[in-house]
Amino acid sequence: MTALSEYNPIVIAIYFLSVAGLAMFIMNPVLLFVSFFGSLLVFYTLNRGKKDRSKGMFLLLFLLLGLLNPIFHHNGTTVLFVVNDNPITTEALAYGFTSATMVVSVIYWFRGFSTLMTSDKLLYVFGKISPKFSLMLSMALRYIPLFANKFRQIKAARKALGLYRQDNIPDTLKSNLKAFVALGGWSLENGIVTADSMEARGYGSGRRSFFSRYSFKKKDLIAVTVTLLPVLAVIGIKLSGSLDFVFYPEMSGKLLNKGALWAYACYTGLMMLPLISDAAEREKWKSLRSKI
Amino acid sequence: MEIFKVKDLNFTYATAKEPALKDISFEVNAGEFVTVCGATGSGKSTLLRLLKRELAPVGDVSGRILFEGRDLQGLTARESAGKIGFVMQNPEQQIVTDKVWHELAFGLENLGVESEVIRRRVAEMASYFGIESWFEKSVTELSGGQKQLLNLASVMVMQPEVLLLDEPTAQLDPIAAADFISTVSKLNRDTGLSVVITEHRLENVIPVSDRLLALDRGEVIAFGETRETVEKISENERVLYGMPAAVRLFAGLKASGNFKVSENFNATEKLKVNGTLKETWNPKETGNPKETGNCPLDVCEGRRFIEENFKNEVKSLPKTERIRDREKALEFKEVCFRYEKDLPDAVRSMSFEVRKGEIFCMLGGNGSGKTTTLSLAAGICKAWAGEIRIFGKKLKEYKAGTLYNECVAMLPQDVQTLFIADTVKEELKEVRFEPEMLPFDFKPLTDRHPYDLSGGEQQMLGLAKAIAARPKLLLLDEPTKGLDACAKKEFASVLRSLRDSGLTILLVTHDVEFAAAVADRCALVFRGEVTSEGESHEFFAGNNFYTTAINRMTRGFYDGILRVREAEEIIRLNGCDKE
Amino acid sequence: MVVIKNSTIRNMIKILVPFVLIPAAVAVGVFVFDDKSYAFVSLVVALLSVVLFIAGFEMRRTGTGRMALVAVLVALTVTGRFIPYIKPVVALIVITGMYLGGEAGFLVGAMAAVISNFYFGQGPWTPFQMLSWGMIGLLAGFLSKLLKKGPVPAAIYGIFSGVFFSMVMDVWTVLWYNKTFDVGMYIAAMGTAAPYTVLYAVSNVLWLLLLKKPLGSKLERITLKYRLF
Repeated sequence: MTALSEYNPIVIAIYFLSVAGLAMFIMNPVLLFVSFFGSLLVFYTLNRGKKDRSKGMFLLLFLLLGLLNPIFHHNGTTVLFVVNDNPITTEALAYGFTSATMVVSVIYWFRGFSTLMTSDKLLYVFGKISPKFSLMLSMALRYIPLFANKFRQIKAARKALGLYRQDNIPDTLKSNLKAFVALGGWSLENGIVTADSMEARGYGSGRRSFFSRYSFKKKDLIAVTVTLLPVLAVIGIKLSGSLDFVFYPEMSGKLLNKGALWAYACYTGLMMLPLISDAAEREKWKSLRSKI
Repeated sequence: MEIFKVKDLNFTYATAKEPALKDISFEVNAGEFVTVCGATGSGKSTLLRLLKRELAPVGDVSGRILFEGRDLQGLTARESAGKIGFVMQNPEQQIVTDKVWHELAFGLENLGVESEVIRRRVAEMASYFGIESWFEKSVTELSGGQKQLLNLASVMVMQPEVLLLDEPTAQLDPIAAADFISTVSKLNRDTGLSVVITEHRLENVIPVSDRLLALDRGEVIAFGETRETVEKISENERVLYGMPAAVRLFAGLKASGNFKVSENFNATEKLKVNGTLKETWNPKETGNPKETGNCPLDVCEGRRFIEENFKNEVKSLPKTERIRDREKALEFKEVCFRYEKDLPDAVRSMSFEVRKGEIFCMLGGNGSGKTTTLSLAAGICKAWAGEIRIFGKKLKEYKAGTLYNECVAMLPQDVQTLFIADTVKEELKEVRFEPEMLPFDFKPLTDRHPYDLSGGEQQMLGLAKAIAARPKLLLLDEPTKGLDACAKKEFASVLRSLRDSGLTILLVTHDVEFAAAVADRCALVFRGEVTSEGESHEFFAGNNFYTTAINRMTRGFYDGILRVREAEEIIRLNGCDKE
Repeated sequence: MVVIKNSTIRNMIKILVPFVLIPAAVAVGVFVFDDKSYAFVSLVVALLSVVLFIAGFEMRRTGTGRMALVAVLVALTVTGRFIPYIKPVVALIVITGMYLGGEAGFLVGAMAAVISNFYFGQGPWTPFQMLSWGMIGLLAGFLSKLLKKGPVPAAIYGIFSGVFFSMVMDVWTVLWYNKTFDVGMYIAAMGTAAPYTVLYAVSNVLWLLLLKKPLGSKLERITLKYRLF
């Protein structure tokens, strides 16, 4: 899926923060269920063909978080069984798994977000808040691979003089520490050259401008509008109380009232946006090609 | 018009008593290519930095620096930053941001240029420098030469009037260095950009520069048109060391006094081809005809200079055979290595041997596998096939630590990676170095900070740390990188004395001249294999390109001449008058 | 904009806002009002305080040398996260605060959080991580005289920052999961995190004690040599 990544990074940020934000703050089982599958769908379409090594970990987290709540909370009226005088209730279990659904889906939304938001896109977004902060992040990002490589070189250099030993844990620690101190000296001394290079190119000579490869186009404006409309609708419905769902003392709240159904529809539409825009683009290509 | 006019400039560092620059006066005309030469400590970097206000060192300044007729201090911050471009030595640390496109835009952002203009200028620069294909890359993915080209482009995008370059090729391999200088020279010709450059490696720069400013101990010893100035400085040994081989030969012969350049010889005349004299050739049409211009500057001129002036009845010098140990210090038998399973072999069935008590040089281009070979010998990388023996014992059989205990030591390419302490004294104490281990006096440096030392001194400190464990086999990775000619000479003599005291040395380098100066035997590495190997003189005599400048000058006319000293000697043997 | 001339008051405010006012606001939100959006409130507060700090930094003129040094220290911190088992992250943040001042300390902490999460995963926890590492650096700046005195204050600060970080992060974890603050769950969270907290605290102390002198002297030399004040 590439259509979404073609938009301005601000659009991408708004989109993911909206879907994740709504999931995070509306404790509605149906909505969260939708969000859960939506997040997985979007994440796996974005990472098609790649292996997700950590999915087992998240499944475990999901189960753990789901079961955690009933152990701590015993309010709720429908008792399933009693452990050590502590009742385990259906309500607490339901709340636990709803929360777990929320947490895991938010994590997957953020993972999708990270796939699309490459570092230079995130720097662009940060640059809108603080260009200086963004520049420093960019400098740090430029240094990290350089330092990581230098750290390897330092370890190799010290090893070849017998100054880096890994025979036992204290030795390993001491060797790593010394190498890290050497890296510290190297990077601080050489960092000054960067400052020189910045000043030589006029850094600090007055107000800076902020250049980026991204510009805010009409299609971005449309995308933001299309994203924010359902978001506002869901928030409105939430404030009207139609999405309220109470777990304790017993589960109550109509999950399928009219307002709620609208909210689910809006949220589902919101989640499908990347997939829809992708499909639309593909169709366009197909029709263009057929015309040639 | 004068871009720079410097008058009676004196400068003393805030921390020093002695002035670093004394009564410097010179000027740079618009569109001119001026080279500033001199040994380390001559003040050439200080001078260049004083011309760039933002980088001016802290200290006492007197005298005047005018930029386009105005006082340098009177420029606005933006003018100063934009009109005077500066490229530094180290390609890595000059880069500020993480992406190529951002780096190109950085200077213009600082000047507050609007996005649309930046977009256009960046695009223009990227196409001029041919860096379009790496426009979106991370800077880490670039090679050293590409990085330095990016640094140049990110300065040029600000459209400076003059470009100041402080040893821009010191950290590059010879091929990237030559490319870089030719790009600068092209900019100079294409756009009329004025250039002021300092360099250690003058072979590439001298032939393209209009004027030469020679400094020694903070004073101007000569300034003027390149060819004339080169002749004037020939008495000053320290400045001369850095000069191209042809200049050194010319100066050496002149100094010995027993020859006179034939009167009808003019170095600026192109080669006679098929008996017809080609049009008189000036490196640059500066207008004034050359009168004293007899000194050859590059290999081509040097070759003609020798052939037209001297006889070659004695073709070669008597050989001085060194009697050497036959015992093997290091032996590679069909060694293979790759960094990752899916990558091709970096070293492919590499076989060679280093004999006890010799200096063995491995030459080769970038990525040929030289450095990997050293890492293998030092036990840092592990070969997946083949056998490495050190002093007859298999590398694998050296138990943890014993390899580095009085056996093998390696000096890395970047010696700064070895520095950890705040003074030279502590640095030497870390490895229990004793003064008699190295013919170099650390006493005057003892309280200095390692990073405050000159490149040559840092190299010596690194070497001291490397030999402190009393190794029998010393491995050196590109030891002359960034060193000036004097420091190289000193380093070479230290290496020779270490060898004479029984140490075996294996060094890998790009630096053909240095290899020719120190090596007993050499090998050429190409794509992870040794393709040729032999005693230095035979080795270089067999190469056409991978050999010293003086060898290329004398090839066919004399045999087996590698060093300037040898060329002088054989010319003297032949006599000088040729009519 | 009001400019406060007295630097002590200015520093007090700098410390009060993130350390007292914001936690107070969260506490009030959690304990006083019977609303269920604490997670939301705390996230907004964390985000805002980081943004506020950065905005303040944006307004000020910072020397180029200092900027480069901070970027170097951020990169060092992130590189340090790849050392196995014990990580010098907090030690570096503290040392930055001690030798380059609280602001630099905060920036290194906040930026190290953003960047290392490029590798370890971004999420709603990012602002909290930014804030708590940032505050550790900020406070180290204010305590720099004390911390430079000897190994004991530094060791205590190392333990404190390890525990502080875990505490802040666990507050968020509980709020996120449970919506309301729950003491039992908080203790349980702290309990499960205890081995990590101990490891954090130990590696903080260890690295702080070991790195303080060599790295501190290097930083002092650089700031002196290049007059980065």
